[in-house]
Amino acid sequence: MSEFEHKQAVVDSVKAIKNAPRVLQLYMDICAHCGTCADNCHVYQGDPQKRTNPAARSDLIRNMYKKHTTLTGRLLRKGDLSEEDFEKWVLSFYECSGCRRCAVFCPYGIDNSVLTRKGRAIVHSLGYTPVRVRDTQKVSDEFGNDEAQPPKAIKANLEFLEEEVEDECGVKIKIPVDEKADILFVPASADLISFPETQMGVGLFFHLIGASWTMATMAIDGANFGLFSGDDAHMKRKNKLLHDACIEFGCKTLIIGECGHAYRIAKHIGGKNYWADENGNLPYDITNIFTYALPYFKEGKIKLDPSKVEMSATYHDPCNFARSTGITEEPRELLKMMTTDFREMTPNRAHNWCCGGGGGLAVMDGPEGVKAFDGKTFMDYRMQSGTKKVEQIKATGAEYVANPCANCKRQMMQLMEHHETGVESGGVFDLLLKAAVID
Amino acid sequence: MDTVFMTLIGVVLPYITLAVLVVGLTMRIARWRKAPQGKMTLYPGSESGMPMWKKIASEVLIFKSLFQGNKGLWAGSWIFHAMLALIIFGHSRVFFEALFFLPSTASQDLVSGLTGGTFGVVLLITAVYLLIRRVAVQSVREISDFEDFFALFLILAIVLTGDAMRLIAVLGDHHDLMRGEPGTRAYFLALLTNPAGALALMPKDPYFVVHFLLGQILFIYMPFSKFLHIPGVFFSQAAIQKV
Repeated sequence: MSEFEHKQAVVDSVKAIKNAPRVLQLYMDICAHCGTCADNCHVYQGDPQKRTNPAARSDLIRNMYKKHTTLTGRLLRKGDLSEEDFEKWVLSFYECSGCRRCAVFCPYGIDNSVLTRKGRAIVHSLGYTPVRVRDTQKVSDEFGNDEAQPPKAIKANLEFLEEEVEDECGVKIKIPVDEKADILFVPASADLISFPETQMGVGLFFHLIGASWTMATMAIDGANFGLFSGDDAHMKRKNKLLHDACIEFGCKTLIIGECGHAYRIAKHIGGKNYWADENGNLPYDITNIFTYALPYFKEGKIKLDPSKVEMSATYHDPCNFARSTGITEEPRELLKMMTTDFREMTPNRAHNWCCGGGGGLAVMDGPEGVKAFDGKTFMDYRMQSGTKKVEQIKATGAEYVANPCANCKRQMMQLMEHHETGVESGGVFDLLLKAAVID
Repeated sequence: MDTVFMTLIGVVLPYITLAVLVVGLTMRIARWRKAPQGKMTLYPGSESGMPMWKKIASEVLIFKSLFQGNKGLWAGSWIFHAMLALIIFGHSRVFFEALFFLPSTASQDLVSGLTGGTFGVVLLITAVYLLIRRVAVQSVREISDFEDFFALFLILAIVLTGDAMRLIAVLGDHHDLMRGEPGTRAYFLALLTNPAGALALMPKDPYFVVHFLLGQILFIYMPFSKFLHIPGVFFSQAAIQKV
């Protein structure tokens, strides 16, 4: 077999970890191969084999690092990187949803998602990124949103949702677009097209509290595939749209909707880290719809009749809300106010099992150009890695699972169909459409 | 045994071991410290400052995350590490005459013999458990490499020779180093103050020589191996914080 043309580039990227942030260096040095990550990984539990073992996945990078940077590695470690091997890297790094559950249980707190993202960054730099992730980034760079919606289509879409709210709740609401306002609201990318009930519920909420708010055609979704592909430059470009929109429309508060990874990037990765002035300040606050809305619900500004929601409901903690940003109580409190039969699944909060759709996986159905898949598809794989989630939800007996994340929603919908559970999947604010009492 | 061999192990290698261990660990830790690191935002995390130190303590002293992640491994590995820590503390008797809280050398020998012997056996059992687990559990076997087995076998060999010295002495033989003259204390003191006289003072008991050699290999290996999880856990757990 001929030499893999990108071999040196891969080796160089891995060797560069010697000057990388501290945790990456630590992750090269300290893993004791105890296997606790595998015990707590939904991917491994759904399909136990070496390739899906989190430590083995991280070892792809770790072993190459040791081979090229340490004395014992140079002496003892053999093996070369063929193109076929690298195709397996692509598959392995895209089988991990980056949910960070392993990091919670690892005795050293090793966050394998950091290595997954490092691996994906290498994959991306060499042009091996799965088709759908790569194309979503391209579309996003061209249109400013992941669904290729021009401003006209966005406006028409939101007008349609206004009418839908009127039909369903009998109240005429306005979803302002591109107006000067106190609040900029940025939803998940799928909330205008695939899961509009969430957007409608949020629209109704802002109407009921009489907020000064707007949405922006230039920043119509918070989704950011730069997190998934490992492309930091894209992540910053996409995050800039949110910042620019806040400045342009004079917004004092940026509110991210039901999208965990959007909130994580807006609040913790981007936001102040990218755009703060020399004093470390931003001219606006960044929050999420749950944290923002909860006080209004508690103060009784929203009148509710939970008996109108004739379903038992459970809550699935999306990884980016629970483990990465610590938002676990607010959505629960809202759900408990809007339903009469709320059931907790176990484990939950930061210990919750990933649905299997995180890290951009939920949008991938076919093999997506990943050669090592060998006949299987991302859909096959996702239905397998969601096994733990299905067990968890079935055990609650709930009829509705609320999951505030576009990736979770799509994965969950397909999972519930695939396993014929009859459980309905949706967002949190979807229920406001049913539970709200309109005077 | 051969004088050259004994000189290498007993009089030359100890200085190399100490140098490699201290310089190796210092350099590695310095590299970690120098590397830039923002907060790793992961929940449930802790605030910085005192809560962070409490979290690190709970991870280092009771292996909290591991307890939540795998109870069986937690039990085995916690006992293993606790015994190891106690035995390393117990080794202070190898270097020092008296520990402040015990009244006489005789009573110290008794306590040391009983606890050291018991802990040594428990340590051996848990080390064997870790080895069996590494071989028998598929998710652990498939990620185990040469270095994982090398580290375990090295520890097993050190524990076995240590236990042999301790237990055979209890049974009435002459392997207990404290009773034999001149003993380890005089030997280590000579290494510090009078290297030329150290070889004569070095215990020539084969169990001791093998135990001491393997122990030194472990310390030399430490800064370049998975044993870095001992200093590393403080840094990796410290990185995990709430915002």
